[in-house]
Formats: sequence, structure tokens, C-alpha cells
Amino acid sequence: MQNIYEVQASNRRKSWAVIVGFILFFTAAVWVLSQAFAVYLGYEPGGLGIVGIAFIISGLMSFGSYYYSDRIVLSISRARPADRKRDYQFYSVAENLSIGAGVPMPKLYVIEDTAPNAFATGRDPDHAVVVATTGLIQKLNRTELEGVVAHELSHIKHYDIRLMSIVSVLVGSIALLADFFLRASFWGGGRRDRKGGGGLIILVGLLFAILSPIIAQLIKLMVSRRREFMADAGAVTITRQPSGLISALKKIAADHEPLEVANKATAHLYIENPFKDKRKDAIGRFAGLFNTHPPLEKRLEALEKMS
Amino acid sequence: MSVEIILILAAAAVLVFWAVSTYNFFVSSKARIKAAKEEIGNQLKRQAELIPNLESSAKGFLKQEKAIFEALTSARKAVAKAVKSGDLQEMSDAGAQLAQVIPQISIAVEDNPEIKSDKVVTRLMEELRDTSDKVMFSRRLLIDLVADYNVRRVSVPSRFIASMFSFEELEGLKAPKEGEHLEVSSSDIRAPKVNL
Repeated sequence: MQNIYEVQASNRRKSWAVIVGFILFFTAAVWVLSQAFAVYLGYEPGGLGIVGIAFIISGLMSFGSYYYSDRIVLSISRARPADRKRDYQFYSVAENLSIGAGVPMPKLYVIEDTAPNAFATGRDPDHAVVVATTGLIQKLNRTELEGVVAHELSHIKHYDIRLMSIVSVLVGSIALLADFFLRASFWGGGRRDRKGGGGLIILVGLLFAILSPIIAQLIKLMVSRRREFMADAGAVTITRQPSGLISALKKIAADHEPLEVANKATAHLYIENPFKDKRKDAIGRFAGLFNTHPPLEKRLEALEKMS
Repeated sequence: MSVEIILILAAAAVLVFWAVSTYNFFVSSKARIKAAKEEIGNQLKRQAELIPNLESSAKGFLKQEKAIFEALTSARKAVAKAVKSGDLQEMSDAGAQLAQVIPQISIAVEDNPEIKSDKVVTRLMEELRDTSDKVMFSRRLLIDLVADYNVRRVSVPSRFIASMFSFEELEGLKAPKEGEHLEVSSSDIRAPKVNL
């Protein structure tokens, strides 16, 4: 039994630990790769120059998806703006909860799909969007809907979209660096002997080039799962009723209809994995490493501890 | 410059940054608490404006429920008076008075299937629930902000800043220390009916 403030504090600590781990790994990987580059090419390519290039390219690629995330996702998901009359429950619940959470009211959208799901996006609380499917609005009662919307508002309040965008930029730059390195070693095999004793660092660099994009991706997913736990706890802080979110998650999980408009790019945004492909054996556990969301049982367990 | 001087300067910079951001936390919290109080007044006003509406549409079906109707009328008068005076505590008390009437109306509605199926009444009940939710959430925001402020004011290390600039303890909403709201009445235990 933990009270909600303790849960919040421990979530924040764990989340920081994951993020610090990510930064340490990122620095180490970048350092090794740039050293290997230097040895390999036989000269220092402007110190961290090559890292800078990878960072800028990755940043440019992700900037659009970060800055226009709301508009892009909305057009991919074919959402329509919510209307107070037509989507009364959804609209008024979101209105009330944003009063309670002390954030500006997000823009609300509805996807016409019977699979119950919801997500939030937008770069900061002033440009936030909360989207729900018609299935969610119809299948949940008001208390359950409050739980789901509070979860999304809590993502917004804690700048989770911004955090995940930054993490994506970093993961992207590691992937690019590794790619540069692999391509360079493919083309210029003969230069290896220009500088003696560089064999080891090149070997390590090669190892890092192959492994670090995968490891970075795994840590990114760990960050994502941590933030889901945080958003669940944040939702309870707003509604003070874990039961609403618990029964909403159960209902959403029990529904086996996949969401048609969801794809790999938008999956991590939803409140529950929209693909519904779950296995409970060892393969399932291994696949769990690649999930954007923690397993439902773990989330329910954490929520039940609070009630 | 030697390493020591750089380290000392860096530590000083961190300390100053922390002190400034802690100070800003206290100042901005105070401003947000003031805004939260205004928000409660705002929501109570919105609720008050809904009551004449409720009264006129409830007149028809609440004829036999004289007591409820009278309670509603007096709640409306109290709210109107409180809104005029602009005093938050008074508004909040009047809102609480209203909050006691609403469950009675919903029970009366639940017990009468004829009324329950009426579109206007359903809509009105939804609006009522919504407006009392809004008041509740605006109060919650105030409670949370005040709690955050007061916790930071007494916990180490932010308390040093708080005492240096003598930030005083703030009061949230007063709740009466005794009374019905601290007890569970039989109508509270009734299992809620779910309309799907």
C-alpha cells in the first residue's frame, strides 16, 4: 500500500534513472564510434564533427514530426474535431479534468472507429490534442472515461511527447552514426594500416555500430513504458479514483478488435497497445522488450496498490 | 584560472540557479493559487446560472416532492446572494448546499421511470452532474496547489528560501469540522445505477 504521492515520487525517480542511463549510454556510444572513426580514417574528423552532423540530420528529421506532431497524427488517424453536443461525455469530462489538472483545455478529436482507444499528442500543453475513438466513448461510462482522459492529460502535463521526441532524435543520431561507420568501413577497407594499434578500437567500434542502435531503441522503449506508469499514477492524482482507470483498461484490453487507423508510427501514443497481439510465454516476454507499453497486468497491479 | 576556482564558480552558479527557481516556485504558486480561487468562483457562478433553468423544468415533475423543491429554491437564493457578495467561502458554502439537493433530485428521478425517460430531464441531470464536477475539480486544483506550496515551504532544502523571504503558510478551502458531510448516509451507500 502506497499513497499516490509516494507512487509519484518513486515513478519520477525511476524515470530519471532510465533517462540518465540513456544519456550515459548515448555518450559512451557516440564516443566509441567517433574514436573508431578517427582511428579508421587516420585523422580526427574535426573532433566531434561527425557526431554533430549525425545529430543535426537526426534533429532535422525529427523536428517536423515533433513540431507538427498534432497535425500529422490527426491527418494520419482521420480524426474529426469533437463537438460538445455530439460527444457530450468526452467533451465535458476533458473540460472538467483540465480544470482539475490546471492545464489549458486540449483540442479534442474523435476517430470514428469502434475499437476503444485514445491518445494524446502535441509539443506542449498549449498545443495539446486528445483523441478518442467513438468506441471508447460508447463503451466506457463516465468514471472510466475520466480515468482514460486523465491518463492522457497527465502525459501532456509532464511533457512526455517532448521527452519522447528528444529521445527519438538521440536514438536516430546513434543509428545514423553507426550507419556512417558501417558504410565507411565497407568502402575504404585499405586504410586500416595507416595508424598502428587501432585494430582494437575499430573492432569495438564495429561492435558498437551493430549493437548500439538496437540497444538505444530498447532503452527508448523502456523510457516509454516508464512514462506509461507515470501517466497512470498521474491520472489517479487528478481523479483520485484508480477504479475508473482500472475498469477502463480492463474493458479496453478485453476488446479484441484492432484499431484500423493505428500503425507502427503512432502505436506508442495510444493508451493501450492498439494491435492486441499478446503472448504469455517466453517469446511473449522477449517481445515485451520491444513494446511501447508495459504489460496490462503490471499496470493494473500498480493501480490497485493505490486504491 | 585554476581548476578550484572554476569548480567553486560552477557550484555557486548551481546554487544561485536553484535559489532563483525555488523563489520563483513560491511566487508563481501564490499567483496560481489566487487564480484557482477565482476559478472556483467562476464555476460556482456557472452553477448558479444553471439553477433557475433547473427550477423551471423541475417544477413539473417535482410537484409531489415539495421538500426538495423548497430546498432547491433556498439553495438558489443562497448562491445568488453569495455570488453577489463575491466572497469565496460563502460561495463555496452555498455550492455545498446545492450539492446536497442534487442527489435528492437524482433519486427522485431514478425512482420515477416516467420522468427518467424524459429527454429534457436526462439532459438536465447530465448538465447538473457536469457542473458539480466542474466545481469539484476547481476546488481540487486549489487544494493541490496549496498542498504543493505548503509542502515545499516546510521541506528541506526549499524551506531555507521560504524562511529567508518569509513566505507564509497558505490556507486552502475551509471545510466544516463536523456535520453531515463527514458521515455516510444511507443514500450514499445506494449502489449507483449505470445508464448505458
